[in-house]
Amino acid sequence: MTVQEFYDEVGGDYNEIMSRLRTEERIRKFAGMFTRDESYKTLVQTINDGNVEEAFRAAHTMKGMCQNMAFTRLYRSSHEITEILRGKDIEGAKQMLDVVTEDYNIVIAGIEKLLA
Amino acid sequence: MAMETIETIEKNSILIADDAEINREMIKFIFDEQYSIIEAENGEQAINIIAEYSDRLCLLFLDLLMPKKSGLDVLAFMNEEDYINTIPVIMITGEATDETDEKAYEYGASDIIYKPFAPNVVMRRAKNIMELFEHRIYIEHKLEKRTRQLRESREKLERSNEFLVNALSSVVEFRSLESGEHIQRVKYFTKLFLKYIMKIYPKYDITKEQASLIVNASALHDIGKIAIPDSILLKPGKLTEEEFEEMKKHTVYGCELLEKFKQEDNEFYHYCYDICRYHHERHDGNGYPDHLKGDDIPIWAQIVSVVDVYDALVSKRVYKDPFAVEEAARMILEGECGVFSPEMLDCFRLAKQELFAVTEGEFSFADVMVK
Repeated sequence: MTVQEFYDEVGGDYNEIMSRLRTEERIRKFAGMFTRDESYKTLVQTINDGNVEEAFRAAHTMKGMCQNMAFTRLYRSSHEITEILRGKDIEGAKQMLDVVTEDYNIVIAGIEKLLA
Repeated sequence: MAMETIETIEKNSILIADDAEINREMIKFIFDEQYSIIEAENGEQAINIIAEYSDRLCLLFLDLLMPKKSGLDVLAFMNEEDYINTIPVIMITGEATDETDEKAYEYGASDIIYKPFAPNVVMRRAKNIMELFEHRIYIEHKLEKRTRQLRESREKLERSNEFLVNALSSVVEFRSLESGEHIQRVKYFTKLFLKYIMKIYPKYDITKEQASLIVNASALHDIGKIAIPDSILLKPGKLTEEEFEEMKKHTVYGCELLEKFKQEDNEFYHYCYDICRYHHERHDGNGYPDHLKGDDIPIWAQIVSVVDVYDALVSKRVYKDPFAVEEAARMILEGECGVFSPEMLDCFRLAKQELFAVTEGEFSFADVMVK
C-alpha cells in the first residue's frame, strides 16, 4: 500500500502531510508512532469512569495528533468529542465515542496495512 | 564571574514539552540536525528540566494542555524564577482561542503556533525569536557592565570629592588648633537630622541624593574662619564686642571665598553657600548676617545651625568647660541657646540619644564615617 492510498482510505489529506513532512519515509515513521499512542485508550477508559477532565485532555491530545498527521476524518470526530467534553457533557461524549472509535479503527487498520 | 560562565556554556538545547510523542517528534525532526533536543512529556518534567538546564536552553516549545502541570503552570514557574527573560517560549496549540492566546502572551510567551504547522515556517519563526533573545541578552549584559563601570567611577569621584572637602574644611580647624573632630561630628549629626527630616517632614522634599550633598556641604560651614585674624580666632578668652562683630563675618567671608568658584547650576555649590552664610541665622530673625526669619532660612542651614550649637555646647573650649549632654539638650530645647524652628526641635528630640552616644564617645568616629 502506498502512502497516498493509505491517506485516501482513512480520509486524510495526503498533499497536506507531504507538504509538511516532505518524505514518505518520515510519514511512515510518524504513522507507527500514532499506533503506539495511548490517548485513545485513555479516552475510552476515562469516559467509562466518568472522569470528564482527564477525558477532555485525552481527546484534546488525540485531536492535536490528528491535526499533525492530517487525518482529517478522525480529526473531525475527535474535535467534536473534545468540545463535548469541554462542556462537561459525559453522556454526549459516550454517544460521540462510537463515531470516534469507528474512525480510529479505520486509521489503525490502515496503518497496519501501510507498515506491513 | 557567573556571567562569564554562562557565556562559555553553549546555549544550544531546545526543550520540547508535549504529552504526545508524535507532537514532540513533529518539532524534533525540524531541529535535531542543528540543536540538541530535550523532551518533556508533562509540565512537571518540563519544570525540572528548566531548573536543571536553564543555562543551555535556547528555546522552549510548550504545549498548553499537559498532565500533572499545564503549559500555563510552566510559564508561571518561569516567571517566578525569572527564566522567562532568558529562555524564549513558543506555545503550541491546537486551536486559536483568544482567551488562551491572551493568557499565554500575558505570561510571557514569545509566540504561538497552531497545529498543524509547516516545518519551514516553524524553523524560521524559532530562529527569529532565538536571535532576538540572544541579542537582547547580549545588549543587557553590555548595559549591565557599562552601568557597573559608571557606578564605580561615580563612586570614585564621590570619594575624591569628599576627601577634598574634608581636607579643605580641616584647614580651618587645623589653624584654630581644634581636634579636627568637630567637622566630622557636624557631618554625622547633619546626617542624623536629615534622616528624621526625611522621615517625618516630607514637606521639605529632600531626596537621598540631596541629603548626601548636604552632609558633605556641612563640612564647609566654618570655612570663612580662614579670613579671621589669629588675634581673634585664637583668643583664649571672651571676645570684645568689636571682635565678636569681626568674628560674625566668617559667614560672609566663607561665601566670598566660594563665590570665586561659583557654579550657578550646581546644587552642591548652593548647599555650601547657604550653609556658610546662614548657619548663624535664627528662627526669630535675630541671627546674622542677614537676619533671615523662619523658613526663609534654608532647611539645610537650619540643620547645621542646631547641630553646630549642640556640638559647641558639649565641647570643651579655652573659655568654657563642656556642658553635660542632657543640660545642653535642655538649653537648646528651652531656647536658652539659639532659637530654632519647631521642626528642628522635633528632630532634635528624636535624634537626641544618638547625638549623646557620639558625644559620650560610645563609638569611634572612624567606624561611623568611613564607608
